Amino acid sequence: MYKLNCILVSSVSTVCRQLAASVNASGSSLCGGTALQRTVCSSAVRLQEAASSTEARKTSSKDFSIFPPMPGYDSSLRWGGRKFEELPIVHVKATYNNTHIQLTESGGQSLVRTSCGTEGFKNIKKSTPVAAQTAGISAAAKASEKGVTFVRVVIKGIGPGRWSAIQGLTMGGLHVVSITDNTPVPHNGCRPRKARRT
Amino acid sequence: MSRHLRFISRTVMVQDLNVEQAYKTLTRLLTQDGIIETVKLKRYYEKPCRERQRRSFETCRRIYSTEMGRKMTFISRKTREDPWLGC
Repeated sequence: MYKLNCILVSSVSTVCRQLAASVNASGSSLCGGTALQRTVCSSAVRLQEAASSTEARKTSSKDFSIFPPMPGYDSSLRWGGRKFEELPIVHVKATYNNTHIQLTESGGQSLVRTSCGTEGFKNIKKSTPVAAQTAGISAAAKASEKGVTFVRVVIKGIGPGRWSAIQGLTMGGLHVVSITDNTPVPHNGCRPRKARRT
Repeated sequence: MSRHLRFISRTVMVQDLNVEQAYKTLTRLLTQDGIIETVKLKRYYEKPCRERQRRSFETCRRIYSTEMGRKMTFISRKTREDPWLGC
């Protein structure tokens, strides 16, 4: 129940941040926006004020937000002539023993599939960040042959190759547009295996 | 199959090819929301007795660290009026 509340609060806080961002972006001035923000939860207020102050300090011409463009709303952002929803997706599954990388179109058709095993690593060497980086580089090379430049990344799992796979993709020449975390979090579903005693 | 819209939550856009900054932002948001900790805890099953022990330990640690933090900020105050004025 406590964990359910945690996950609810986290989802509510992210949704509140997005609502505050959309409210702020809809053209209200800063003093008008703060009155609205008081009704939203406090973490969203702190994040939004920090974001707005840093943005005002850096460049007033660039309005970059860490939130992706919502599917219903039009945004003028285009990458290689494509909208955000049409960009190909790189799925990175970072388990504790291996890292899989698969590049798919936005519809779901698979283009490139690499993993630490296909790169020639065996057994324990697959569960290293170096192996994930080589897998990322080879995946990026194969993708560039097929003509893919801009890409969204979806990460699943926490493992040794979580960050180095994206690093390999960037080193291989792919342009990463956004990073999503799709780690499966059960709301107390299946019972996991018993605790290890070492 | 997926019950939620994709690419809405737990997503961070990358600014000016700064993938490292975006990844750091993402991990900071995830740890603040407690997702990384939940994933680590749920890797193996935690028996109810162990869960109760862990919760009480976390409560005690939270109380102790807040009290210690308050004590340190109180002791490290330097700008006070002189208590021994005139001596």
